[in-house]
Amino acid sequence: MQAIIHILKTQGDDIVRSIGQHIGLSLISLLIAAVIAIPLAILLMNHKRSANVMLQITSVLQTIPSLALLGILIPIVGIGTVPSIIALVIYAVMPIFQNTYAGLTTIDPNLEEAATAFGLSRRMKLFRIELPLAMPMIVSGIRIAMVLIIGTATLAALIGAGGLGTYILLGIETNNNALLIIGAVLSAILALVFGAGIDWLGKLSFKKAGLVVLTLIVLIGGFAGYRKIASPTTDITIAGKMGSEPEILINMYKDLIEHDHPNMQVTTKANFGGTSFLFKALKSGSIDIYPEFTGTVLESLVTGQKSASHNPQTTYQVAKRALKSQDQMAYLKPMQYQNGYDLAVTKQFAKKYKLKTISDLTAVEGQIHAGFDPDFYQLKDGYPGLSKTYGLKFASAKTMEPSIRYKAIANGKVNLVDGYTTDPEIQEYHLVVLKDDKGFFPPYQGAPLMTEKLLTDHPELRTTLNKLAGKVSTTDMQKMNYKVTVKHEKAATVAREYLKSHGLLD
Amino acid sequence: MIEFKNVSKQYENNLALDKLNLTIPTQDFFVLVGPSGSGKTTTLKMLNRLIEPTDGNIYFDDKRIIDYDLKQLRLQMGYVLQNIALFPNLNIQENIAIQAESLGWPRKDRIARARHLLSQVDLDPDQYATRMPSELSGGEQQRVGIIRALAIKPKVVLMDEPFSALDPISRKQLQDLVLRLHRELDMTFIFVTHDMHEALRLGQHIAVMRLGHIQQIGTGEEIMQHPANDFVRGFFQNEYTPQPATIQTLLDAGYGQATTATATLAADAPISELAAALKQATPVVVTTPQGPRALSTPDLLDYLAAKEAD
Repeated sequence: MQAIIHILKTQGDDIVRSIGQHIGLSLISLLIAAVIAIPLAILLMNHKRSANVMLQITSVLQTIPSLALLGILIPIVGIGTVPSIIALVIYAVMPIFQNTYAGLTTIDPNLEEAATAFGLSRRMKLFRIELPLAMPMIVSGIRIAMVLIIGTATLAALIGAGGLGTYILLGIETNNNALLIIGAVLSAILALVFGAGIDWLGKLSFKKAGLVVLTLIVLIGGFAGYRKIASPTTDITIAGKMGSEPEILINMYKDLIEHDHPNMQVTTKANFGGTSFLFKALKSGSIDIYPEFTGTVLESLVTGQKSASHNPQTTYQVAKRALKSQDQMAYLKPMQYQNGYDLAVTKQFAKKYKLKTISDLTAVEGQIHAGFDPDFYQLKDGYPGLSKTYGLKFASAKTMEPSIRYKAIANGKVNLVDGYTTDPEIQEYHLVVLKDDKGFFPPYQGAPLMTEKLLTDHPELRTTLNKLAGKVSTTDMQKMNYKVTVKHEKAATVAREYLKSHGLLD
Repeated sequence: MIEFKNVSKQYENNLALDKLNLTIPTQDFFVLVGPSGSGKTTTLKMLNRLIEPTDGNIYFDDKRIIDYDLKQLRLQMGYVLQNIALFPNLNIQENIAIQAESLGWPRKDRIARARHLLSQVDLDPDQYATRMPSELSGGEQQRVGIIRALAIKPKVVLMDEPFSALDPISRKQLQDLVLRLHRELDMTFIFVTHDMHEALRLGQHIAVMRLGHIQQIGTGEEIMQHPANDFVRGFFQNEYTPQPATIQTLLDAGYGQATTATATLAADAPISELAAALKQATPVVVTTPQGPRALSTPDLLDYLAAKEAD
């Protein structure tokens, strides 16, 4: 109970949003189903054979398990709201059709005869006599459909349409009963409230009921329209770590997102900070996405997952799972290039002390004055871990901004720096990368990291950002980094050029 | 004027109407009477084309009814159903004005018409206009059923056994009502019933039907006095008003003593005269072909008591 209250307190806004999604999804589906089923029943009320065929069809549709139906729909219409609504409509059509048909065909034949004998038009007969007489049956059909929809709509969360199912699924997945109860109880309450609403609607005259339904349509439509138009409310903030590479990547993300979803507006925050800062910013919601490396995730962001493997695939999978379960983060597929940490020294220094591997450094550790990226200096997969693994203790180690670092070594202020395999400065300053002979640095592949919630609210982001999956080779990255860092081209331009030349943007 | 010319209705293996010829004068109160299966309801429903003939033609004001626009035709023919069939979802005034609504009368006129008709059949509009049909008794409902048929002043009102489901008292009241309405309105009433008594009470002209044929058409009196065949005679037999009992029936029953006294009454005098005479003096002597007979007060009382016991 305390857990439930706590969740209600802390996630109140999200729950309200989920209820809103659930109601929206249910109402739209119910309306569409009614708009299909009722006219169909009217059309077929005097065609018994066709009506029976239709009853058979709707019954068969009803027997398809909802999960199977969603599975069938995903390849056709993708994920999100659309397939959910289609599935819900398919389920809701039968009870409404069946009841409307039964209601219209079981009217006292004497009343039909009277209406005919009075010379009432088909239209007047239908709206003044037949539909009102069938109304109790129609209303009960809509009720059944509504209960069905509200129950089934919890499954919509499976395919990213949100709603109260999100809590039920999350509750099951994380074995969190409080979440489960919140989702289930709220769905039940919704069913009750809607049931009462439909009964009330059924008692109103045609005009009033029509007015209420119309108002609902306008409200939902208006809300949807508002969200569409006012969608620059879906401001997405993408941040990057220090350096040119993250800046290029976040510009790629921005271009792809804004191209695919004109209603979204992406703000980029390049050089936003180090790993833990970015991660915290992501958690607190001040940023939405940032590119993170698989290795970094395992080394610093999640617990209990020390670089278990040197296989990039495995590393990604482990990182993805750990992020999901520990931090409710979604980690999309990584790009092709590998960007591991490295240690580099000048060619002269390497020659002088015959340095080829990191192990070779132990012999000269007393003379090493290192300049490290602040991240590298702090993180487990950086200097602390390295010194442990190799038993290294440098004479001094200073932290400095990545761009200054290479200048410092070029100016002789330091004689060893950390770097990335894709850094263009390695060539520019004639440096030598020391071989990681003990395999300390885990595989590093860049991939977009975001909260699961963002992906739930905007499932379409997955497709968009996955366009980069498996793309961008190490050479590509090095070249781009070179253009930005050395040639001082704008990261945004370089990013766009790459996307265009690789057919990811037109 | 309505004319049926050689109208037949053939159902799959049943000839419901066989070459029917019939003329109904304008503003007549015309009753179709006959046992079930006689084709009377079929004949009625052919007029507003709920049933179409398989052969022959029906003329309404010298124009074939199939040449009328169906809606126009039906709007000229009010229709009262056996089971009343008020629309349960509409209140009384909406029921009454349903045809007017279909014709697009303004709401104000419809209500006024409904209220006028209600008061015409002694239903207080203030009390009844906005009630629902289920709140009315059977008799009240059929009153509404009747005025619903009159709402847009049709030329013809068709009534299909409208009172057969009602209790005798309501039936009598409603018979009086339709007679009054027929007098007051310039409409042709065509009325179907299986009840000869009702036919005689209502009809200016009566058509007696049997097995899809008309047996006889005429006024009630004509049919009563000159039945065309045994069927008509048999059908009407129950309707012969019993002749008032005479003193002879008393004598036939074995009452009376032979006497030599002077007779003061004839045997064919009504029993009422005997009763009156017995008040003055007893016994009373009656002339009979067998000679005078004396009848006393106990004789009369015994006879009446025995008759009552039958």
